[in-house]
Formats: sequence, structure tokens, C-alpha cells
Amino acid sequence: MDRLLPLVKGEFDRLNKYNLFTANFVVLLLWVGMVSFFEGAELKMFVPVIFLMDSTMMTILLVGATLFYEKQEHTMNSIMVSPVTEDEYLLSKVIVSVLNSLITVVFISAALYFIKGVTYNYLLLIPAIIVVTVVHSMIGIRLSYHAKSFSSLLVNFMVYIFVFLLPTVFATIGIIDEKIAKYLIVLPPDVSNILISALALDVEPWKLVFGYTYLTVLSFILYRFMIKPKFNEYVMRETGV
Amino acid sequence: MFKVRNLKFKYPNSKDYTIDGIDFEIQDGEIFGFLGPSAAGKSTTQKILIKLLKDFEGEIEYYGKPLLSYRDEFYQDIGVSFEMPISFSKLTAMENLEFFKKLYKQTVDVEPLLKRMGLWDDRDKKAGEFSKGMKIRLNFIRAMLNKPKMLFLDEPTNGLDPGNARIMKDMILEFKKQGGTVFITSHIMSDIDELCDRVAFIADGKLREVDTPRNLKIKYGKRTVKVEYKEEGNLIVREFSMDEIKTPAFFELLRDKDIETLHSGETTLEEIFIKVTGVTLRG
Ligand SMILES: Nc1ncnc2c1ncn2[C@@H]1O[C@H](COP(=O)(O)OP(=O)(O)OP(=O)(O)O)[C@@H](O)[C@H]1O
Ligand SMILES: [Mg+2]
Repeated sequence: MDRLLPLVKGEFDRLNKYNLFTANFVVLLLWVGMVSFFEGAELKMFVPVIFLMDSTMMTILLVGATLFYEKQEHTMNSIMVSPVTEDEYLLSKVIVSVLNSLITVVFISAALYFIKGVTYNYLLLIPAIIVVTVVHSMIGIRLSYHAKSFSSLLVNFMVYIFVFLLPTVFATIGIIDEKIAKYLIVLPPDVSNILISALALDVEPWKLVFGYTYLTVLSFILYRFMIKPKFNEYVMRETGV
Repeated sequence: MFKVRNLKFKYPNSKDYTIDGIDFEIQDGEIFGFLGPSAAGKSTTQKILIKLLKDFEGEIEYYGKPLLSYRDEFYQDIGVSFEMPISFSKLTAMENLEFFKKLYKQTVDVEPLLKRMGLWDDRDKKAGEFSKGMKIRLNFIRAMLNKPKMLFLDEPTNGLDPGNARIMKDMILEFKKQGGTVFITSHIMSDIDELCDRVAFIADGKLREVDTPRNLKIKYGKRTVKVEYKEEGNLIVREFSMDEIKTPAFFELLRDKDIETLHSGETTLEEIFIKVTGVTLRG
């Protein structure tokens, strides 16, 4: 694991040089801009949405973008013939995602405090952000395996959102029976939403316990069975090198 | 250091074996050339030897142990330059090298390498703004970054101007002098002739020859001497076998005639390539 630190540093360096940080920052400014339109109870509902979107959607997009660049420039091949192991490489992607989400937490929380004087339970927020980001960085990696280009990554992402959000939407408008709707907590966007909403709403404790356990176990399963075994094949696919 | 036995490899989507049962050894301290027509599987073989393609059949031993039993220590030992130059396009040459440097236990000072390869003044330029030859030179430096014991070079001089190709070849020869081992592929036969201790020819997934360039030239060459001389204004060409040149007839010819050229029938690697692989050279 000696290489983890230089990998993480290198990744941040490249997020900067490839202008992905700038893109991320623009999105953060947009969130701050939107925050100023809300007050009181509405604001309380809106804040979790920011963190949910950032730790799910932005995570997938950022991880996807870095993988896309490394695939396109074949630098992935160069890294894989250095002493870096697959675990180190993949782990560095996850760590960078988590750090990015935490930067968002600090930035948005500071903005909310200074603009609106709003504070909330940071101790409930941070662990939620970490598990949600870990799972979604893995989903991002997995979606990239199937993507031929950045736009097809976006399409995969839309399909993912559609498939997993649709049941929740159906439940809300009553198409899905309430008894079944209860089980929707096994869908990653749903459980992510519950964990992050805890910063503003009262969530039943069993849901939190279930949510943390479930996302942790899901991360291990995704990594062990869906990310790691297919990584070499992904690196070697269509390399003209 | 490498022992390859009955190596076979097939890409997931193809039905035929790209590599169809080949055997060879690479000795410590030699430069081993891997030749063959385009699409014969040279780059594929390199990718197998550097553990990028792992689903092969047969056995590959590195220092007496199966190649796949090695972990990151194998990569501490080797330097690779791929067929296409690879770098982070938005990082400068120096930033590219610094990033890779941090991944190794042992590294060299890049300044002398950059200077020798003529990239020192461009070290702060983005790699994406490099010319093709500059990218190739940068890749070669990256391969040398970790003081490797062995270099894998896939067509390293392809796309270089003669001056830079000369410098790179000198560096490869110096690397060997200091005890390094090299696996190299190239379509430039004069480079191979100059650099390689032994060469292997691959065609249709099989090895056709593995030997020293000298032995191959003797094997495929004609043991003759060809003399061109002028006689009464006419150009005359005569060929003597190696036995005939010991006879007075040959000496008298040399003494009495105006000799224009004198050639032994030794063949070139290029001719051997065409004979062995049954294909003409690309480009
Ligand atoms: N990633 C890949 N997937 C499927 N087939 C591949 C892949 N890479 C190479 N091949 C096929 O394997 C064969 C050998 O390719 P390889 O790149 O090893 O040739 P080469 O000897 O290096 O040729 P060249 O001299 O043109 O570089 C070719 O038929 C090629 O189409
Ligand atoms: Mg090749």
C-alpha cells in the first residue's frame, strides 16, 4: 500500500489539470446560488438533496471521467506495468471520491453557515457521506466498464438512475403498494437518501443501522465480485498499445 | 531469466490462437529481438511477458518461478515502452516523470536522461503538445526511470529521426553493458542487426527461427564471393565458392584485373526475414 499516497496525490493533481475540479466547483457554486432562494423548513428539506446529489451523481461522473481519460490516453496500461496493484489503483479512486465529497461537505456547510447561519448534525452527515460515496464510486467504476465513450457513460448513468429511482417514484404516487414500498430501502439511491436525510429529519434508528450495514456490505460485494475480477479485462480491452 | 514453454494465447473475441505454442528463453544480459510481420503477435507476446495479458496457456518462468506468482516486485525490476507513446497529455513531461517516479522504490535522476534525449528544455511543456518523436523519447525515459534490470521495448526507434535513434541505440547498448537484459521488437532490420545478441522470428503464431544474427546469416547466406571487374571496357561479374577462393585462379584475377567491387554472399537480416516469414517488410 506504499503507492496509495502518490496515487491519491497524482489523482488530485490530474483532477486539477484536466479541469474536473473547476467543473465540480462550478456545480458547488450553483448549489450555493440555489440555497439563497430557500428559507426555514424548505431549506431544511433542500440541504440533504445537495449532499445526496453530490455523493451519488457527482461521484459517479467524476470517477467515470477520470477512468475515461485514463482509458483514452492508455495511461492505465502504464500504471499497471508499474508496481501499483489493482487494489491500490481502485482504492485510490474510491479514496479520492470520498475526499471530494468531504470537500463538498465543508464547502457547502461553510457557505450555509455564513450565508444563512444554518448548522446541522455534522456527525450524522459525515459517515453517511462516506458510505454513500464509497458505494457510488464503485457503481461509477462498474458503469465505466460498459461504457465505450463518455457519452455512453452518461447514458449508463441515466439508465441506472431511471431503474433505481422509478420504483421510488411509483411508491410516492401510489402505483406501488405501501407494503412493498417499505422494501425499496434496498435500492442504493433510496437508502442513500435515508442516511443523508438524517441530518435534517428524524429517521427511525433501525433504518440507520440497516442502511449503514447494508451499504458497507454492498461495497464489499461490489468490489469483490463486480469490480476487481473484471478490472484487468477492462484495462486490456481495445488497447492499441 | 525468462523461460517460455509452449505458450499459447487467444484474445477473447478471436477464434484462432494469436500465439500458437512457442518456446524460447531470454538469457540474463542479452538483447533479444522479436521479429515478425505486422499482426504476427509481437506486441501481444510482450504484453504477456509483462503480465498484462494473463489468460495464456503454457508456462512462463521468470528466474525459475512462474511469472504469475510474482507481485509488484516484478514491476520494480522492469521498464516498459509500449508501441504507442503513452503519457498524461495535460501534464508536463516533468510532471509525468515525477508521478511515475513516486511509484517505485528505486529511481534515477531524470535530468541526465532528459538532457541526453534532448528534452531538457521542453521539460515544462505539456506532453500533449509534444511531437511524435518527443513523445517516443519521453516514453523511453519513463522506461528507464526505475533503474530496471530488464527493458521491454516495442518498436522503440519507430518514428525517431536518425540522430535520436542513434542516441537511443547507444543507450540501449550501454544498458546492456551494465548488465541489463532487453526484449525488443522492431521492423528496422539494421537496428536489430546492430543491437541484438539473438533474434526470434514469429509468423502465423509459431516461431520459425531463434538464433544469433550471425548464425542466421551463415545459414541463409550463400558461401560465395562475387567479384566485379573491368575487362576491355566491359563489366564482368564472377562468383566463386568459398573453396574456389583458395585456388590460383581467384588470386590471379585479383592481381591482374581492375577490380570494381568484391562482395561475400552473406545475406542480410532483411532477406532472412522475407525468407523465414514468407512476407515482405512493411513500410
Ligand atoms: N486487444 C485486442 N483484442 C483482440 N485482438 C487483438 C488485440 N490486440 C491485438 N489483437 C490481434 O492480435 C494479432 C496480433 O497483434 P499484435 O499487436 O501482437 O501484432 P504485432 O506483431 O505487434 O504487429 P505490428 O508489427 O503491426 O505491431 C492481430 O491480429 C491483432 O488484430
Ligand atoms: Mg506491435
